[in-house]
Amino acid sequence: MNEIDRAIEELLKRAAGGAVDCRLKRDLWPEMRPRLDRPPLRVPWWDLALAAALLLFLLLSPETVPGLLYQL
Amino acid sequence: MVEAELERFTRGDIEAFETLFRAYQGEVYGWIVRIVRDPGAAEDLTLETFWRIYRARAQFDPNRPFGAWARRIATNLTLEYLSRRRADKPLDERLPPCAALPAAPDPAVGAEVRAKVMAAFGELPAKLRAAATLAVIEETPYDEIAGALGISINGVKSRVFRAVRLLRKSLERKGVRP
Repeated sequence: MNEIDRAIEELLKRAAGGAVDCRLKRDLWPEMRPRLDRPPLRVPWWDLALAAALLLFLLLSPETVPGLLYQL
Repeated sequence: MVEAELERFTRGDIEAFETLFRAYQGEVYGWIVRIVRDPGAAEDLTLETFWRIYRARAQFDPNRPFGAWARRIATNLTLEYLSRRRADKPLDERLPPCAALPAAPDPAVGAEVRAKVMAAFGELPAKLRAAATLAVIEETPYDEIAGALGISINGVKSRVFRAVRLLRKSLERKGVRP
């Protein structure tokens, strides 16, 4: 690293204002706790069954795809 | 941290997770804020880091140090954040707010030069910016940076070198000379 690069480093350090205060000012646990209580996202089994049936139908009758897209 | 506690955490015990959270939140926040230099964003990223830690608990080996694992997850998340922010925000919004800085920037560096330097720095790829922030601005030891980024010390040196070179070229285009 040459002198100009070192000068760039020094300029960056001075422009950024030096090291930041790394201390956490408050306890974050009260904000973390509600996340853990949220129920995990679950897709109902009948939705999956419906999607599978639709996919199967489209695979077996590809000629219906343009009509279906037109309706959408 | 006793191994039994870590094992309870891997099985999803909330109390064990709370103990870990309280023991490591300061360390994780401290690491993130050094990279993003924005206390508000660092708090959000700390929460997101622990959420990822909780979801990945089954993959954690209780025989390994929790702090190093947490720091690696925090670093990856922070790099994602820096990449997103670089892509999403206009230049002036990428500048760190003066109020968020620990001390006022050196008054010898004029406001215009400072703005140009920080704008040019904000344009660097996230991986280079994180390495340069930690090494140059925060003066973090290279081995510590290497551990968190999951690369060798030479890899860190290379990233810092590339960051400084790119910054130099960008500043030259903006008419700033050190």
